[in-house]
Amino acid sequence: MSSGTLALLCTHAPLVGCFGALVVLRRAPRAAAALNILAMLASLGAALAIFAGSNHQPPTIISLWLSSEGVPISFGFLLDGTNQLMGIIVALIALCIQVYSLGYMKGDPGYARYFGLHGLFAWAMLSFVYSANLLQAFVFWELVGLASFLLIGFWFEKPSAAAAAKKAFVMTRIGDVGMFIGLILLLSSTSTLDIAQLMQASTLASIPDARLTLIALLLFCGVVGKSAQFPLHTWLPDAMEGPTPVSALLHSATMVAAGVFLYARFHPLFVAAEGVSNIVLVIAIITAILAATIAMVQRDMKRVLAYSSISQLAFMLLGLGAGSLYAGVFHLTTHAFFKALLFLCAGAYIHQIGSNDMVTMGRQGAAKLRLVSAGLVIGAAALAGLPPLAGFFSKESILAALHGAHANAFVYGAYLASFLTAYYTFRMVFLVLRPSDKSVLPAEEHEPHPHGDVTGSMKLPIAILTVGAAAAGFAGDFIAKLIGAKALHPTYGEMAPAIGIALAGVIVAFFEFGRKDAAQQGFITRVGALDTLFERKYYLDEIYDKVAGGLVSLIASVSAVVERGVLDGTGDLAGNLTIATGDATARMQSGRLQLYIGSAVLLIVVFCYFVGGY
Amino acid sequence: MDAVHPSAWAFVVVALGGALLSVSLRNILHAIFGLALALFGIAGLFLYLGSPFVAAMEVLIYVGGISVAMVFAVMLAYSLGKKEGGSTRRFLAVVPVGGFFGVVGYALLRASFAVTSKTGSWDLKLVGRKLLLDYNVVFEALSVVLLLAIVGAIIIARRDEKTGDDKTADEKAASKGNDAASAEERAS
Amino acid sequence: MTLSHFLLVALALFALGLYSVLTRRHLIGLLIGVELMLNAASINFLAFDRFVVKDPATGQIIVLFIIGLAAAEAAIALSIILSAYRAHRSADVDDLDELKN
Repeated sequence: MSSGTLALLCTHAPLVGCFGALVVLRRAPRAAAALNILAMLASLGAALAIFAGSNHQPPTIISLWLSSEGVPISFGFLLDGTNQLMGIIVALIALCIQVYSLGYMKGDPGYARYFGLHGLFAWAMLSFVYSANLLQAFVFWELVGLASFLLIGFWFEKPSAAAAAKKAFVMTRIGDVGMFIGLILLLSSTSTLDIAQLMQASTLASIPDARLTLIALLLFCGVVGKSAQFPLHTWLPDAMEGPTPVSALLHSATMVAAGVFLYARFHPLFVAAEGVSNIVLVIAIITAILAATIAMVQRDMKRVLAYSSISQLAFMLLGLGAGSLYAGVFHLTTHAFFKALLFLCAGAYIHQIGSNDMVTMGRQGAAKLRLVSAGLVIGAAALAGLPPLAGFFSKESILAALHGAHANAFVYGAYLASFLTAYYTFRMVFLVLRPSDKSVLPAEEHEPHPHGDVTGSMKLPIAILTVGAAAAGFAGDFIAKLIGAKALHPTYGEMAPAIGIALAGVIVAFFEFGRKDAAQQGFITRVGALDTLFERKYYLDEIYDKVAGGLVSLIASVSAVVERGVLDGTGDLAGNLTIATGDATARMQSGRLQLYIGSAVLLIVVFCYFVGGY
Repeated sequence: MDAVHPSAWAFVVVALGGALLSVSLRNILHAIFGLALALFGIAGLFLYLGSPFVAAMEVLIYVGGISVAMVFAVMLAYSLGKKEGGSTRRFLAVVPVGGFFGVVGYALLRASFAVTSKTGSWDLKLVGRKLLLDYNVVFEALSVVLLLAIVGAIIIARRDEKTGDDKTADEKAASKGNDAASAEERAS
Repeated sequence: MTLSHFLLVALALFALGLYSVLTRRHLIGLLIGVELMLNAASINFLAFDRFVVKDPATGQIIVLFIIGLAAAEAAIALSIILSAYRAHRSADVDDLDELKN
């Protein structure tokens, strides 16, 4: 098969699954699930085949979609290394999570719908990844947003889930507006939206500097919204309202990864745009530390992981912003594995114990799930950046990139963030696996209600991802070759502080949470104000509510005046005028037949007079 | 071009005089008699224009049929105590009528017609032949129209049987109007 | 008497009919006016027939049709007048103003 056919198969097989599940097989949920998993298998196979055959195939397949005023808009597939890598990751993770969902979603009334939406999500994400055209990419980017909206709000009968879905949709939309404007500016500056063409140095050089910066910033807006960076990050933790596998999908390879992937895709543009990388670095470091501090005090396991995702995405942007495509993409890859793993482990605990609360999990004997717990430890170690697991290598390469960019302030910030990461990660591990009798943490208010045992179909993906999380770190050189960027090999001198910091974080976490008879109270509780600040997520939700609410009421009051005065006035005027005219003309209808005839004759006479040319 | 014999003016006087009477007389019954007079005059003019047949039909149908039917109708539906229009109404009517008369009359006087000497045949046989051969479609259509008129007149003038319980003298009189209407039907 | 004279006579008849239509309050008065106007038209036809057209039969036929139509029209009009009179107890034009304003 040609790579074009393969790409078509890869991207659209999930759509077939989606259609089958949502339309044809609504009443046969098991068949729907099987169909979707088969479709994902086909996608994964096709993605691998594209990769295998990439040496002797043209990298781009394009056909004209539409042409507007001489500007051709094409539709097609771009099959370069970055896209191939991302496609494989997306297909693999999505497949794992679908298999996992077989057990996790068992008995749910929306079983078929769930798998159908998964198919929709996979279709949108894969199509986005392989898009050859920015407009096409934007279409699928929005479809990814739609699919995540549907999945976050999967249990839409829960008001909180519906609200969370809405929030995710609106928040990402804020960024997308900026991105769309950037896209239009890009089109007007270069007359093309072809990604491969756009990324050529000559094309980029043809755009004026100021405009290039503006475009880069606007595109970055989209990245900020999608990848949940400060200040648009608040939707991601709320998105935990969806089923846990959905969170795993959103956080690892798809939704939030789309933002970082877009940045990676347009890396040359961001590098060429002056001053943008500093803004990116600032936003990334703020996000990394902010999210990590919030994660320190959360009790809900999924929320800890959500904030950790935000923080790790910020790390990727740090690497990309420091100018290293390799570091960012590498971390994106490894993160996809270990974050999916961690979420699936969390899902397994939630499934078995029936609570999201880490303390409850620990007290209910989470450690008894041996395979899951092993996965959790390995995933956590990878997240914390302990050698020789996946996260270690990618985080090191990010730090090396920051070193290379001589951005010292950001290096220290990254050290702080990685210390916090190690700390909150192992706080989570210890809370879940080593419950303490002396714990001062109060029990949860709700009684846990378990869903059922962890099935084999849930264990298999966890096992696969555990291997991935452990081994993906060694793929650095391979990835560098694939995406055509220079691999970074930090020296031991550079690595030592990072390892030390990560270990320090783990040790602090052990003393506070993991020891026998530990009080399980973080050091941050000694500073009550900070604790509350982190607990309340920096009050950002409240501030947004106030600002947005105030803005809305302001606009509303202005609109009300305009509406009552101008619009209503105009409407009333039109109505009254019509009525008045009607009254006036009705009076002419006097009911005097002879008056009518007389005026008609008179008119005819006058007409004849003029037409007759007297 | 041969002019009509000047004695035709007598009929002109009769026609216009009758028309004036029918327009000016207050009593509507008198006005109908004025109309009848005018119709006689017009029939005479037809005679002078060379068509005794049409003149005969004019008298037969108009004077004998329509005018008589009108008389019947007046007898049936004459509202007492109603006065004819006042001076304002007349004045208002004079403007369009005068305008019309002026404009068309002026046009008439300025116009020149290609008057030819009489060549065609005024034979009644020819008229009948044409009527039944060349114009037979129109002829049939007219007969259908007349039939419809008769049916329609009966339907319109018929007193509603269902609502006619409180029959007044007027209504009884009105229901007889059917006879009057169909009488002139027969006449035509 | 020439063509123009006939046409002027017809015009005068027509104007009188129009005047009657415009001033009479009784519905039958209106009908009288209409008949006068129709006859004026008939005179025109026959006059043109007599003085201008080579084939006089056509004009006569048209006049015959006019007479026939006038008869039909009178029949309908009279029945409408009777019907209106029954509904309004009046045959006055000015009383038939239910659709005014």
